[in-house]
Amino acid sequence: MSKKIFSHPKPAEGQLVGPRYWKSLEERAETPEFKEWLEREFPDGASEIEGVDRRNFLKLMSASFGLAGLGMAGCRKPRRHILPYSKQPEYTPVGIPAYYSSSFEMAGESTPLIVETYGSRPVKIEGNPSFLPYGGATGSHAQASILEMYDPERLTTSTVNGGSATRAGVIDSFKATSQAMSSVGGSGYALITRQNASPTKRRLVSKLKEQCPNLAVLEYEAADRTTSERALSKYVGKPVKPIYKLSKAKRVLSFANDFVSGEPGSLSLTRGFADGRRVDTPEEAKKMNRLYVAEPDFTLTGGMADHRLRIGQSQIPALAALIAAKVFELAHFGSELVGVLRSKGSALKVNPEWIDICAQDLFDNRGSSIVLAGACLPEEVHVLTAAMNAVLQAEGKLVSYVESQAPLSTHGLDGIVSGLNDGSIKHLIVLEGNPVYDTPAGTGFAEAVKSAETITALSYYSSETTELATTCIAETHYLEAWGDGRANDGTVVPVQPMIEQLFDTFTALELLAALAGETDLNGYNQVQSTIDGISSGDKAKAFKLFLAEGILKGSEYPKAKLSISADKLIPTARAILDAPVLTGESLEAVFTPSAQMFDGRFANNGWLHECPDSMTKLTWDNAISISPRLAKELEERDGIQILPGSGLMQSWGKFRTNVDNAKFKRGKQEAPVAELTVDGRTIKAPVYVLPGLSNYSVILPLGYGRRVVGPVGQGTGFDFYSVQPSQASVVTEVQIKMTEDVYILANTQEHWSMEGRAILREATTEYFKKTPDFATQMGIESHSPPVYGAAKNESIEFKATKIPRGGSLYKTPEFTYPQQWGMTIDLNVCTGCNACVIACQSENNIPIVGKDQVLRGREMHWVRLDRYFAGDVDTDPHIHHSASADHGSSMDGWHDGVPEDVQVSFMGISCQHCELAPCEQVCPVNATVHDDQGLNVMAYNRCVGTRYCANNCPYKVRRFNFFDWNKRMVGEFYKGPLGKQNLDQPNGELIKMRANPNVTVRMRGVMEKCTYCVQRIQEAKIRQKSRARNSADIKVRDGAIRVACQSVCPVGGVEFGDIADPTTRVSQAKRSKRDYSLLGYLNARPRTTYLAKLRNPNPDMPGAYAKPYSLKDYKNRYGHADHGGDHAGHGKHDDPGHDHKHDHDHHPAH
Amino acid sequence: MANIFPRWVNIVPLKVIIGVLLTVTSIIAGITYYFTPKYSRVGYAPTQPVAFDHSLHVNQLGLDCLYCHQDVDKAAHSNVPSTNTCMNCHSIVKTDSPKLAPIRNSYASGEPVEWVQIHKTPGYVYFNHAVHVNRGISCVHCHGRVDEMEVVSHAESHSMAFCLECHREPERFIRPVDEVTNLAWTAGSEAEQLEQGKELVEKWNVNPPLSCSGCHR
Repeated sequence: MSKKIFSHPKPAEGQLVGPRYWKSLEERAETPEFKEWLEREFPDGASEIEGVDRRNFLKLMSASFGLAGLGMAGCRKPRRHILPYSKQPEYTPVGIPAYYSSSFEMAGESTPLIVETYGSRPVKIEGNPSFLPYGGATGSHAQASILEMYDPERLTTSTVNGGSATRAGVIDSFKATSQAMSSVGGSGYALITRQNASPTKRRLVSKLKEQCPNLAVLEYEAADRTTSERALSKYVGKPVKPIYKLSKAKRVLSFANDFVSGEPGSLSLTRGFADGRRVDTPEEAKKMNRLYVAEPDFTLTGGMADHRLRIGQSQIPALAALIAAKVFELAHFGSELVGVLRSKGSALKVNPEWIDICAQDLFDNRGSSIVLAGACLPEEVHVLTAAMNAVLQAEGKLVSYVESQAPLSTHGLDGIVSGLNDGSIKHLIVLEGNPVYDTPAGTGFAEAVKSAETITALSYYSSETTELATTCIAETHYLEAWGDGRANDGTVVPVQPMIEQLFDTFTALELLAALAGETDLNGYNQVQSTIDGISSGDKAKAFKLFLAEGILKGSEYPKAKLSISADKLIPTARAILDAPVLTGESLEAVFTPSAQMFDGRFANNGWLHECPDSMTKLTWDNAISISPRLAKELEERDGIQILPGSGLMQSWGKFRTNVDNAKFKRGKQEAPVAELTVDGRTIKAPVYVLPGLSNYSVILPLGYGRRVVGPVGQGTGFDFYSVQPSQASVVTEVQIKMTEDVYILANTQEHWSMEGRAILREATTEYFKKTPDFATQMGIESHSPPVYGAAKNESIEFKATKIPRGGSLYKTPEFTYPQQWGMTIDLNVCTGCNACVIACQSENNIPIVGKDQVLRGREMHWVRLDRYFAGDVDTDPHIHHSASADHGSSMDGWHDGVPEDVQVSFMGISCQHCELAPCEQVCPVNATVHDDQGLNVMAYNRCVGTRYCANNCPYKVRRFNFFDWNKRMVGEFYKGPLGKQNLDQPNGELIKMRANPNVTVRMRGVMEKCTYCVQRIQEAKIRQKSRARNSADIKVRDGAIRVACQSVCPVGGVEFGDIADPTTRVSQAKRSKRDYSLLGYLNARPRTTYLAKLRNPNPDMPGAYAKPYSLKDYKNRYGHADHGGDHAGHGKHDDPGHDHKHDHDHHPAH
Repeated sequence: MANIFPRWVNIVPLKVIIGVLLTVTSIIAGITYYFTPKYSRVGYAPTQPVAFDHSLHVNQLGLDCLYCHQDVDKAAHSNVPSTNTCMNCHSIVKTDSPKLAPIRNSYASGEPVEWVQIHKTPGYVYFNHAVHVNRGISCVHCHGRVDEMEVVSHAESHSMAFCLECHREPERFIRPVDEVTNLAWTAGSEAEQLEQGKELVEKWNVNPPLSCSGCHR
């Protein structure tokens, strides 16, 4: 009998023509290189040694074996010592982690934290669940900040006036400066800090300002996110800021407000937003919120959108005016105002239906609809949105206003620059930030600063600013220091040291105290006296509670009232600028802080560098993002191929190029380099084509291209500050010109690709109501479900422990442990924020490999975030027509094969812990096996590195240690034993301290992958068993184990627990109608399952879709979207999914 | 034709085969024995900076294990006592004994006493003391009769096979939780231990891990 070989059903030739679901332009274009990618397990080059053939390799190896023989002397085990304390502090058992509260400050906002420490060594950062708005969530930057503490490149010594200084020397010099300053009232001195909410620092700066009335103070933030605050403060005359609560919002309209990842309070915003999208039954579907987004860039918020309007950032004020006019008109709020707003928007070419229907939807749901404006927009838009929210009756329920703190700046950046230039500022003290780098070139700060007599800089790393500084002070990491901060709503949070200062370093707080003439520079005392000033009742007790809980209860900003009148708004409306016309010759440039480097402060953080950008999937670099439309126009104008693959152009357009000239070779993206001219300044940088961008906006992510930085950040990306004319984040009349040059980008998007199967499943709420089980009706498993045989209808619990195989002759592994672990990931709330990727890296000692190795496809992340674009290029003109703001030339351009409007979906993938795991069958040494709790475990010691398991893994989640990533320095891998070791560098010992002691640090030649945080599972079990003593109560409670990706997730998208117990949260999630297994037809029975995604489009909207693009893709490819199972069950062929005409019924414009 | 090879050559192949076999066997046997923890670890009894006599402190003075190793039921590591634990008594007893000079020096200077490590689990093994002593596995099973040792030595092999012996058949070793630090305790005969052990395993739902993830993470 011949063996039956299973192969995936091939779609008919004709079905391939329809729209499809693709991960990249290369895949869409089907370049030969991409096809080769798919066929190979690891990217080309990933499994080969460069420049070494087998013979040379053996020669080299025999030499090193010979050397090894010389060192055989120490066979007897070394004598080791145990060093107990001399006087042991109480409650400090070795190996039991201690948890302390602290907080991480970024751009004037603190995230409350709980830090896990082992023997006073901070190892892992978690969010502080006592702070309810964030509910224990953190972002990727907070997660990655721990790496910097153990960075051997941090500054460890200080210099005063060019000579090295001791601690006392630094303090003396600051005291001298303090005296000199106050004697002249601060004239000639300027102090630059970042935007600070810290009560102690504000107290000290205020005191300093009192002592030195002429001191110039600037709180500079390159990525200023306080626009809303500034706008409203001007409007009402006192510092007021909005606090949004999205959990009860039914309709949300965002004007370039990236509340998922960038805006103030984004953690609580994204959490609240996700609450409104948690839909488990078809009945709940109508309660799901709806998100409208108008933006130039493709942000994560745009990825969540139900309706997304691509529009230039410079055009958004006009759009806001038009939408506000419609809303005000519906609410009969100021007819003159409506007229002014209409006239302001008249120049904007955008589909009026979009505006009217969006405004109508907001108005119909008044009381539960809200409008948000991005910090990048002008102040008028923020006042206008506040007025809209008032008219929409959102105040009190969805937005509340609080009286925040006025900024302490006395000067703007331009004031400091002119002061430096005219000599009125001679002494510059930079206590926070790196202004020489992160000020726009157009402001001239970097040149002006050279005329200062003295520059004092406090810095954690050497930077562009410390390079010019006459006095350079090494900064203390926040995990070693005392301090305080405020969360977005004003709650005061502590910064506590986890470890004694590793080096003789200083905090900004200590130096401010010295400048302000305080005698006590001790951070603890300073913070305590501040808290004593705020807290009420028993001061000592309040302070203890503050440190223990990590928040000061009742310290939120006081509530404020915002009264909006139509008449008062008219001047604001008049100030709105007309929408410019954008074309391929006159573009707009949008300067935006990058998702990884932010404003550049994380430039030496390897975790963030290697974490692929959610949208572009670029690592270690930034690039000019342009739209496919612009790319096509540039191709035709400059004759340089930008869009990948000839296939795309040949089948869809007229343009022909050399077939061999593909842009994605061997996993390296050969990006063409463009010359970008902004206001007379020119920069050469690679171009990245990102579908979904506004046609004539170019996106310039900031924070890369640091000139003076540690070795990790050396040579990464391009510095767009160098062309930024002013602090405004958008510039029009920008020109771009292609060059012949090519730059190699390390793009992970093609790695680990899974070809066009029903991988990510989504539907609309309408479709979900009619077809609740759509998730299991897609894909091949609708024809060929997992083989359960007679046990088909048994419970999840039964299936998880007994593993029925329907009479198969193969032996069935039975999982005997009373608890069986499983996970669900809710795709409906996943925003793609990357926090899980970094949290996993931090928890599981995952190394970075560097750009060179990422180019070879050897990145090591256990969680990867797959991004799928879904788009409809040819068949649906309405979408392109209606959702693009750039009418002009693109009106007749939508049909020539350029993907403009796309939907994006994210899917986090790590080891799925298959019950019948394909990897286990092929391991020749049993290194990967199942344990009795249903985990697929890796025994590193057994692994001999055949990589068969990775080859046989259908999910491509296994990672191989091609080199000793942990031992050798990045860039030294190929030198073998001669390469420099991490520990050999100065302060290299720091690297050792970072590792989580509960997780093995893997060596070269072994395979690794997600373990479901087995260390946390075992800890919880051990804890429970130790507690049980002589009782039988050994079952770990639901919720006692929180795996790293679960505990960091801001939207609660991950559930983990015991699936043998039907009452646990994960079991409940798995019973959801939306639950499906990835590639379930393989009968691998993954323990991780996914909850399908839903979108909630407005049926009245032009371009509304009955099904999301992905479902449509699937349908067009396989002919019918829902099939299998019991065909007789429900009238499939009457479903809206089958009625193609139905799609078009939704387009009023049709 | 004359004989080229002399007669004795006939048995050379046999000799060679036997010789090779003997050599290989002895190499394998040698490695099997001399490279195992049984050889390399058992019996290791280094000289400590202070000749602490367990038999004196436990048997004569009646100190419980937990008096000094107080973290053993809380943490993965069982702690070696800090100097202040020694000084609890030795600030009153034998205050000027020259043998205790390192202790007094450590207490005065704050520098730790450099005890020599005897038991060492490899880095890839995540052994947890607390869960064993809380669930009726006595110190004696892994560490031997420390209460009778004047000089502590490595008593058992601590190889993986050694661990699995108990994890496969916990009933052969398990005892009431109260008797964990009583190293002299026995259930009586082997049959009695088995009978009692089976009952305890049943009653406490003892479920020692036998898969890799139990100890390797």
